[in-house]
Amino acid sequence: MMDGTMNEDWIENARMIVESARAVVPADGNLARVRAARFQGCGFDRAVMAQAAELGWPLMRVAEDAGGLGLGLRETCALMEVLGAGLLPEPVLSTITAAALLQEALPEEAMTGEAVIVTAWQDATGDQGWQGGARDGTLQGTKVHVPGADGADLFAVLTCAGVAIVPRDAQGVTVESAETLDGCRPGRVRLDGVAAEILPCPRAEAVLQDARLAHAAYLLGLSGRALEITLDYLRVREQFGRPIGSFQSLQHRATEMKISLELSRAAIFATARRFDAGADPRARAHGAARCKLRASALAMLVAREAVQMHGAMGITDEADIGLFVRKAMAEANTYGSPREQRATLTGLLAEEHAA
Amino acid sequence: MTGQPDYNAMSDDDFRAMVRSFVEASYPDIPRHSLSRLHWHEVKPWYLILSQKGWICPTWPREHGGMGLTAGKHLIMIEEFERYGCARVNDIGPVMLGPLLLRHGSEEQKAQFLPRILSGEDVWAQGYSEPGAGSDLAAVRCEAVRDGDDWVINGQKTWCTLGMDANWVFILARTDKTVKKQAGISFLLVPMDAPGVTIRNIENLELEAEFCEVFFDDVRVPADHIVGRVNDGWSVAKALLGHERVFIGAPRLSASALARLGHIARRAGVWDDPVFRDRYVTLQCDVMDLTDLFETYVDRLRDGREIGADVAMLKIFQSELYQRISELMMEVAAEDSGLRATPEGDRQLHAAATWLSARPTTIFGGSTEIMRNMLAKAVLELPS
Ligand SMILES: Cc1cc2nc3c(=O)[nH]c(=O)nc-3n(C[C@H](O)[C@H](O)[C@H](O)COP(=O)(O)OP(=O)(O)OC[C@H]3O[C@@H](n4cnc5c(N)ncnc54)[C@H](O)[C@@H]3O)c2cc1C
Repeated sequence: MMDGTMNEDWIENARMIVESARAVVPADGNLARVRAARFQGCGFDRAVMAQAAELGWPLMRVAEDAGGLGLGLRETCALMEVLGAGLLPEPVLSTITAAALLQEALPEEAMTGEAVIVTAWQDATGDQGWQGGARDGTLQGTKVHVPGADGADLFAVLTCAGVAIVPRDAQGVTVESAETLDGCRPGRVRLDGVAAEILPCPRAEAVLQDARLAHAAYLLGLSGRALEITLDYLRVREQFGRPIGSFQSLQHRATEMKISLELSRAAIFATARRFDAGADPRARAHGAARCKLRASALAMLVAREAVQMHGAMGITDEADIGLFVRKAMAEANTYGSPREQRATLTGLLAEEHAA
Repeated sequence: MTGQPDYNAMSDDDFRAMVRSFVEASYPDIPRHSLSRLHWHEVKPWYLILSQKGWICPTWPREHGGMGLTAGKHLIMIEEFERYGCARVNDIGPVMLGPLLLRHGSEEQKAQFLPRILSGEDVWAQGYSEPGAGSDLAAVRCEAVRDGDDWVINGQKTWCTLGMDANWVFILARTDKTVKKQAGISFLLVPMDAPGVTIRNIENLELEAEFCEVFFDDVRVPADHIVGRVNDGWSVAKALLGHERVFIGAPRLSASALARLGHIARRAGVWDDPVFRDRYVTLQCDVMDLTDLFETYVDRLRDGREIGADVAMLKIFQSELYQRISELMMEVAAEDSGLRATPEGDRQLHAAATWLSARPTTIFGGSTEIMRNMLAKAVLELPS
């Protein structure tokens, strides 16, 4: 459907995007900015969102004939992996998702980064439903866990009737944000008879599946970097006159993490390729759930092991590994907990056997 | 404080009823069921109430101001405190140093330090670990050198739990560098307000300053502040702490976490989900099996039988079970588990708070890896 999806040049595209990400994610893994931004203001830096817009990220998943870049999901996942490794607190994925929903309707100021747009889709905690929020041509209801809600200017509100652009200061909009473990401020957006043009959005479910997969890639990046840091620690930390990484029990568990990581990476990029090539709805639902399931489990596995293998150092906020642990805790269940993914998968299995 | 009655002569039921009514009537207006440690300024009222009652050191002999409780009675007391959700006091003095002084301390040391623990005048911290000496504790480098009538201490300790609340710290210091590492360590008592002692708080993963580093820069303590003989600190410190070793594997942390998991599941609307129930009953069986295993150790204590190295199995299983319960909590609470507080503001039912509080249990007091190594050698007698 999108022009870029059939492009065999995806690897080159991905390389360029990953390269461009270095503007906001330091190549040396320095997390000083990320650490300083936690628990401050809206929890992210608008200047970084402006930079992201300059780099064209919001337009990645907008079709070329709609004025976008028409890039594939593989490129998006490659980007998200880098952003995850850098623990980027900015709601980039939510912006990409908003743009993918809106296509040519994406407002100019969101394209330039002058305004930050995020997606408000989720109806309830622990539930992937997004159909609520529209009544008689106006917006009525609540959207929860909206990333970056505290600092956003515009919401792309997704309902069964379609998608609407809602300025944060529009009549009838209230935002209640809450701090996450990693120091971001997503929020609950209440819509009380908000007048807005609701645009049809036939690809809504597919765009959310894309987002689920891209979020899995963010968790992959986070886990990969946390594993690297932990492996480095195993190499340098000495007890009993030798590096703790020489102890076989730790070696085996480190190997376990590596296997999980590579399974996750393979599944995510193969699934993204299938999405790019045009997978049917069942394959999409299944692929997104499967990848998100593994990535969530991976992130929490690495978080647990990273703490344990760092000993008391892993219990401190001073060591950077703690930033990964708190981010994993904050993000593992967004776009659906493992429990929800398994429910999706068992539902699909039942359908298959009924058919 | 002397003249405590002989509680061991009471029936278990009477003793339990007495403890329960005392706790209910006396617990001060401070948090209950707290997942993180309270600081001295918060928990002090409770310490002083227990001190007044003569109940702050349940295991010490009665002639030293304790209750002289048997393991069975002590367990009942712990259970009742837990049931009510009493905050854990700064208990390094009552639980660690007191019994250690009773066994290894001089008469002067007992006379000087025990009453001050009983009264709450002294709050102790444990200074064993160093940046380079964690699991390999015998690698301590903090050094004490004899100079006239003093020991002069230089070096660093770290991860001192509630060290910022303490006015005394006991440390393991290197007093002989020429011998095998375990043979050159001494056990010293150091006032925190001695010139040359500085501390730096360390924020933990829950963003609370619960432990600290302690630096010693030419700190002088009198020669008689050593416990046991010079260079004998390793055996002093390693001396088994009686039934505390068993109680650390008690199922109560897991049992109460399981109950909270049930609440979280109900709130999240998944309590009736058969998939959830499948996992819940698995954990429930784990808690019940642990309880039965724990009871076999308590029976051994009651019968006055030896407790061997195998008791480490309890701690391993309990701490990992607590963690597994916390992991299911995170999943069940879904996105809310990623928030800093639950929307309802109840920390007890915040999955992340339990997840975080469960992490150190497999690290301190001997990590699960070190315990498994030890079990493999000492119990399974596998080759090195
Ligand atoms: C919350 C908390 C409170 C504490 N309070 C105190 C206190 O009050 N006073 C005090 O003195 N100390 C305290 N400690 C320190 C505690 O005793 C140490 O954390 C513990 O001994 C482990 O040492 P370490 O942290 O240096 O980890 P390390 O020893 O560096 O271990 C890192 C990892 O390597 C593993 N490892 C090490 N050796 C082996 C091996 N041979 N085989 C396999 N795996 C191995 C460990 O299990 C761990 O997973 C506290 C720790 C915590 C977390």
